[in-house]
Amino acid sequence: MLLPEHSGGPVLSAVPTPAPLVALRDVHLAFGGNAVLKGIDLEVRRGQAVSIIGPSGSGKSTILRCITGLLAPQQGTVTVGGVAVRELRSEAERIALRKRVGFVFQQYNLFPHLTVLQNLAIAPVRVLGRGRAEAEATAIELLRKVRLADKASAYPGELSGGQQQRVAIARALAMEPELILFDEVTSALDPETVGEVLTVIGDLVAEGLTCLLVTHEMRFAEEISDEVYFTESGRIVEHGPARRIFSEPRSERTRAFLNRALGAAPRVAADPFVFSFDKLRFAV
Amino acid sequence: MDAAIAWGIEAARRLGLNYAFLADAYDRASFVHGAWVTVQLVVCTLAGSLAAGVAMAALLTSRRPLLAGATRAFVEVTRNTPTLVQLYCAFLVLNMLITHALQDAQRSNPLTPFLWVVVVLSLHKGVFHAEALRAGIEAVPRVTLEAAASLGFDRRTLLWRVQLPLAVRFALPALVNNSVDLVKATAVASAIAVGDITYASIMIWTQRDNVLELMVLLLLFFGLLTWVVSQAGNWLELRLRMPGYGDR
Amino acid sequence: MATADSTVRGVPAWPRAGRFAGLLWLLPLVAVALAATRHPDLARALGSAWQWSPALLRGFLVNVGVSLLAIALGTAGGLLVGALRLSPLALLWRPAQLYVQVFRNAPWLVLIYFSTYVFPFEVNIGSHIVPFPDWLKVVLGLALPASANVAEVLRGSVQSIPLTQWEAASSMAFSRWQILRLIVGPQCVRRMLPPWMNLYATLTMSTALASLVGVHDLLDTAQIASNTVNQTAFTVLIYFIVLAMFFAWCYPISRFTRFLEQKHAVA
Repeated sequence: MLLPEHSGGPVLSAVPTPAPLVALRDVHLAFGGNAVLKGIDLEVRRGQAVSIIGPSGSGKSTILRCITGLLAPQQGTVTVGGVAVRELRSEAERIALRKRVGFVFQQYNLFPHLTVLQNLAIAPVRVLGRGRAEAEATAIELLRKVRLADKASAYPGELSGGQQQRVAIARALAMEPELILFDEVTSALDPETVGEVLTVIGDLVAEGLTCLLVTHEMRFAEEISDEVYFTESGRIVEHGPARRIFSEPRSERTRAFLNRALGAAPRVAADPFVFSFDKLRFAV
Repeated sequence: MDAAIAWGIEAARRLGLNYAFLADAYDRASFVHGAWVTVQLVVCTLAGSLAAGVAMAALLTSRRPLLAGATRAFVEVTRNTPTLVQLYCAFLVLNMLITHALQDAQRSNPLTPFLWVVVVLSLHKGVFHAEALRAGIEAVPRVTLEAAASLGFDRRTLLWRVQLPLAVRFALPALVNNSVDLVKATAVASAIAVGDITYASIMIWTQRDNVLELMVLLLLFFGLLTWVVSQAGNWLELRLRMPGYGDR
Repeated sequence: MATADSTVRGVPAWPRAGRFAGLLWLLPLVAVALAATRHPDLARALGSAWQWSPALLRGFLVNVGVSLLAIALGTAGGLLVGALRLSPLALLWRPAQLYVQVFRNAPWLVLIYFSTYVFPFEVNIGSHIVPFPDWLKVVLGLALPASANVAEVLRGSVQSIPLTQWEAASSMAFSRWQILRLIVGPQCVRRMLPPWMNLYATLTMSTALASLVGVHDLLDTAQIASNTVNQTAFTVLIYFIVLAMFFAWCYPISRFTRFLEQKHAVA
């Protein structure tokens, strides 16, 4: 990216575009004959919140799983922080990757035989080699952040779904990852508890968390995302800044999906005042 | 002590039950000794069967197909043949062969019938424990393992800190049931004259013809043993429980 | 489901018996046949075994007969006791529970001894004196714990039917009896089948205990044969033949039970 030309004098050094933290290029993945991903190109830059939206079965969760190496694509490259995920052969390398990338699942990912505090502390102690006291102190801090400090000695089975998800987010944060992946984390929750989880994620994004979200919560995605990718049938149909995708989708299919999902015609006018007024009206 | 026993025998006689053997020092001693032998059998086979169960579960999930396959064949044979026949094969056949072999080397066979019973029963029940552990392992949700992997756990930590603790908790009721069955199975020791409580009872009733009375004592005794084992199992389940889990 | 091909594997899966595992028993047969050509006493033992085989088969038929009768009686009695156990009346379910507790915690060998000694040697029916055969006593002795186990299996299967089924059915104005017969009952039967078949397999294996009370079953015949022929090789052979015969009967039952379990696990 060159600065505008001076009349004489040396050109100031170009500001290099930082390499994306996560980059998928032309990723293809098939399960036993069924092609799930058919050529995915995706980027997440540091400090960005990126959302992936789309109909069920379009491969959104599969993309997330490729990034942490839970699934292996047949074709294409997946790079995280410069490390090519497909090339990772040894377990040690995979573990090194997973220390940098946090993952929050849709359901039942807390360890039911450990208390909330132990759930948060076990990975820093066993994987990162932290001291138990230090790990537990950090855990309490994180629990305060997700507003569950009083549940430290409860067991996951005693918490509601929303509370469990907040603990799961805190547990991912405890590893101090560079990036967190959220896989439809509110889809299994009652409508009342969805809000508390979204608030926590919103706060984290406001603090600068780099994250990639797969979600059905359209209004939330619009509010917090920098970039949005719309997938359908294993392909990226459209992607771009959140504001543009939600207000002026270029593709007919995107428009049709948003119609169905939001139940209202996407706004055509880019008037910011009208935009925020609509957001207020439809806010959960 | 003798007075109390005499009173007890008299009370039983009024009910029509003949417990006179308890007055006889020799018979009483052999009965009590038999009870003690049964308790020893139960303790040894409980420990042995759990060890065998864990070992077999490990062998069955080993990555070497020959090892896993051979163990699987052994498991199937042990599960589908009577314990008594296995005991005979071990004691009458293997033991005899060992004795012959040792005789040629001018040594005596140190293996007692008690030991053979423990070995055979441990292997037999160990198979059932291994099955229960397998069901427990398979009951651990795949997502929980993925969550642990996503936190960066390596395979060993994942196994010891997440998969096995959960598998044992899931398998515990079946393991306790198997242990109760094991207590009952020890009665088969009488078939090779091990001198447990069943054998002692047989010796007494063939002489005194008081089968019913001894049967009552036997049922009470085994009922007590199974009760102790299931109580221990309950206590263990309570200690290892996961609050809130499975209440939905 | 995205986790289908996940690279995360904790403990690898149990080895499943292949379709041809059932033919594995041919291996030891071949091995024995080959060894016999080298060792003359093994060949002689095989010859004696062949001579004794009709007696062994007759003995095994006793085992099978006892097991079938015992499971039939045990199932009939067990269903009755189980039904009582499920009754809401304390007068009915308390004695049933006691029955189940007593006979589930008793060693089967002890119960066999009990029935052998308690029942008379012969019975007077009218003017005839009918001998009370030993094998019948064993049948009764085994039917007792069998019935207690069937009662428990019944109770377990009824309790495993979710409450919602009862509620849905009663909201459709079915009576309690109709619900049992048309909705809960058929589901119970399906759930009861695997544990019931397990019970039958256990029962068959327990019939070997009959040899200890003098019934001329397979094991008893084998012991007589071993004492008669009085050869080491023959003794070794005969006991492994006994093992093989029980295996040949119980293993297919076990495989079929597992097949049933898998088929109905999806339901």
